[in-house]
Amino acid sequence: MKKSFRLVALLMALCMILGVFAACGDKNSSSTASTGSKASTEGSKTDDGSKAETPEAGDLDTSNEVEVVMYVVSDRPAKQDEIDENMNKIFKEKLNTTLKVNWIGWAEYTNKYPLLFSSGEEFDLSYTATWLNFSSLAQRGAFMELDELWPKYAPKNYERQSQAALEQATVNGKLYCIPTLLPTYSSQGPIYRTDILEGTDWDGKMENFDDLEVYCDYVKQAAPEMEPLNVYSSGLGFYAWYLCINSNYKASVGGNGVPCYFDVTEDKPTVKVDYQIDQIRPYLEMTHRWNEKGFWSKSALSDTDSQKVQGGKAACTIHNIDTYEGRAIDYPERNFKYADFRKDVSYLPFTQDALVVSGTAKNPERALALYDLITSDEETYRAFYNGIEGVSYEIIDGQIKNPDPDNYGFSACWAARTPEFNLPSVGSPQVVADLKAEWDNYIKEQDGKGAARFASFVLDTSMMETEYAAIRNVNQEYWLPLELGFVDLESGLADYQAKMEAAGIEKVLAEMQKQLDAFCESHPAK
Amino acid sequence: MKKTGFLHELKKNKALFLMVAPAVLLVFVMSYLPMSGLILAFKDYKFNLGVFGSPWNGLENFRFLFQSGKGWLITRNTIFYNLLNLVTSQFLAVFVAILISEMAGKVYKKVTQSVIFLPYFISWVIVGTFVFNIFNFETGVLNNVVKFFGGEPVNVYSMPGVWPWIICIFNSWKWVGYNSIIYIAAITSIDAECYEAADIDGANVFQKIWYITMPSIKPTIITMLLLQVGRILRGDFEMFYQIVGNNGQLFDRTDVIDTYVFRSLLQNSNFGMTAAASFYQSVLCFVIIIVVNAIVKKVEEDYALF
Repeated sequence: MKKSFRLVALLMALCMILGVFAACGDKNSSSTASTGSKASTEGSKTDDGSKAETPEAGDLDTSNEVEVVMYVVSDRPAKQDEIDENMNKIFKEKLNTTLKVNWIGWAEYTNKYPLLFSSGEEFDLSYTATWLNFSSLAQRGAFMELDELWPKYAPKNYERQSQAALEQATVNGKLYCIPTLLPTYSSQGPIYRTDILEGTDWDGKMENFDDLEVYCDYVKQAAPEMEPLNVYSSGLGFYAWYLCINSNYKASVGGNGVPCYFDVTEDKPTVKVDYQIDQIRPYLEMTHRWNEKGFWSKSALSDTDSQKVQGGKAACTIHNIDTYEGRAIDYPERNFKYADFRKDVSYLPFTQDALVVSGTAKNPERALALYDLITSDEETYRAFYNGIEGVSYEIIDGQIKNPDPDNYGFSACWAARTPEFNLPSVGSPQVVADLKAEWDNYIKEQDGKGAARFASFVLDTSMMETEYAAIRNVNQEYWLPLELGFVDLESGLADYQAKMEAAGIEKVLAEMQKQLDAFCESHPAK
Repeated sequence: MKKTGFLHELKKNKALFLMVAPAVLLVFVMSYLPMSGLILAFKDYKFNLGVFGSPWNGLENFRFLFQSGKGWLITRNTIFYNLLNLVTSQFLAVFVAILISEMAGKVYKKVTQSVIFLPYFISWVIVGTFVFNIFNFETGVLNNVVKFFGGEPVNVYSMPGVWPWIICIFNSWKWVGYNSIIYIAAITSIDAECYEAADIDGANVFQKIWYITMPSIKPTIITMLLLQVGRILRGDFEMFYQIVGNNGQLFDRTDVIDTYVFRSLLQNSNFGMTAAASFYQSVLCFVIIIVVNAIVKKVEEDYALF
């Protein structure tokens, strides 16, 4: 009898061990993330955002030291420790705060980034972006709502936000992110090298698609070993750009892989999917002709090399002005040029680069105050974003340079950049600054007309995720080969159309139309 | 006092129970506890509510698999590829194992085995590069050879029909060395006296292979097959992703459940849909393994897994 009691006791002990194991899951993460922040948060152990009310308006208690944890997406530079130490000295002095930046590498961010929010790990700030699924994550409750916290603890930043930026940061009626203050432009155009055509009778004209075709013809002759256009597995993707130049369908809704557009000049525009717009035929005829001329490889869709322009294997790529700036600085001998075909440039959504407060944040107040300081005080900004003067950055005639890119890098929290602190890189062509100034003027002149009127329209996709998944697949399977001219135009287009209908495009269009109509009600044309 | 029942058993074999405890514990913690996460497949997941607090949404998460009729196609492709790979790679492995064990020179034998084993260590990323450099229309090895002999270059990337075979060849090439090890071990353990007796009776090499080697390794072959069948709904994601990548021209013939799910859900954060796909695979796998095992049991009871 006694023996069997001992056995029962043993079994119970086993169960307890098991219980400990099971509990480990949530305990572990909290103990690792909150080291250093224990002291500060008396009484705020719930993380439902209700603690926003507890501190009295505006004044932040900085009497105890707090560690703020931030996540960014990029590879950590080798000597980042030095930069961290330097910036923390300044943060400590000004705000009695230290910042711990965790880096999620490029190789793992697709998996790790969403898991940050589902694991329940406690951290305060994170970089986010449209390409990191900001709105989908916000709809699923990953972030802390900022309606009260932001104006209270980051007032300088809040005041400078434009109306459009605030609306873009709003999901289901609540603010969920702090968009960047630095505008980026909806420009897109060919970045093409001119050194290979020296000595030919090419006239150097680059103003429209015909000129681009002429340029590619010349490249074919002058440098036959080179592909004229940089096309790889992500496809061609010129259609939105083509529409911007050749039609009034300048605004796209739907995002990556869901190609819907509307006419920005109409009072109440109708949303259309790509094949419903008349330009589809001339566009596809053009790309089919380009394919026959061999402007890209017949195996382009299996090519994963996206860096063919840098590698000298392709002559031209279509991208934005910031990419052009990078190419021009890196390869001055190739004499890169940039042309923007479209006249109607607008700002890209400011949520392109943004910062969120995690739903699990322990010190949202201090974190926001720190971010306010970074985006408003130059010394703090330089220490945070650029690092140590003379070591990780040098400023020469108002242009900035990283003298040792192997060991140091600028911050990957790109959202923190502001128009006055963000400097062009050393060697940046004058045309970049000129074009940006020109666009700023143009946007001011437009005064919210045309594409700008719809800048703050954000589509809520939460009720059509199933259709979205199916449409993205159709886009990849049928549209990309069709666009590149790998399948017959007529039968390919009919096929694509049928598959899109089967994937539920009608439902998506109806939903988009509903949301756009509601937007037009509240934002009438000027 | 009763002398049967669990407590009595526990008392009698307490040392054995103690020894098995860590393994049971491990399986429980690693395999059974996470199973509660399966309910995610039926939930509209919200980060702030967690797995158990999120609202239920019925079968909504499964809908994307079957929207536009893709579900059947990818299930069929997955089963087809796994069957093809199962048969070819196991058949080749047995073939290679017999060849190697029949070889005479010791050094030659070891070198051959190592060379055949080598592809196992090459990652699919590298293999993907090989494939692209062989079949590239303009600069690929294949078309250069074709052009050298005066032929018309072929665009393999516009012929989805040949891809099952390309994938099958690369899969066999990569796995044959690894799989053959098990068969070599099985062959080595066959009693040498059987072969000596056969020699005396005047049996030739082929007769010895057919009448001695094959029957002796039959249980190994069946066990290996059964173990592989359990994974039949799981495509080797990395292989498909690296060889086919995002080339939509080939999807009709090469898309398996894993690649479809990856592509569909890469751009949204809906864990429920991912869980639903994995739930669907697991349930089908379970059904298939039960059925196959029942068939094996009926034919030859000793060879069944359970």
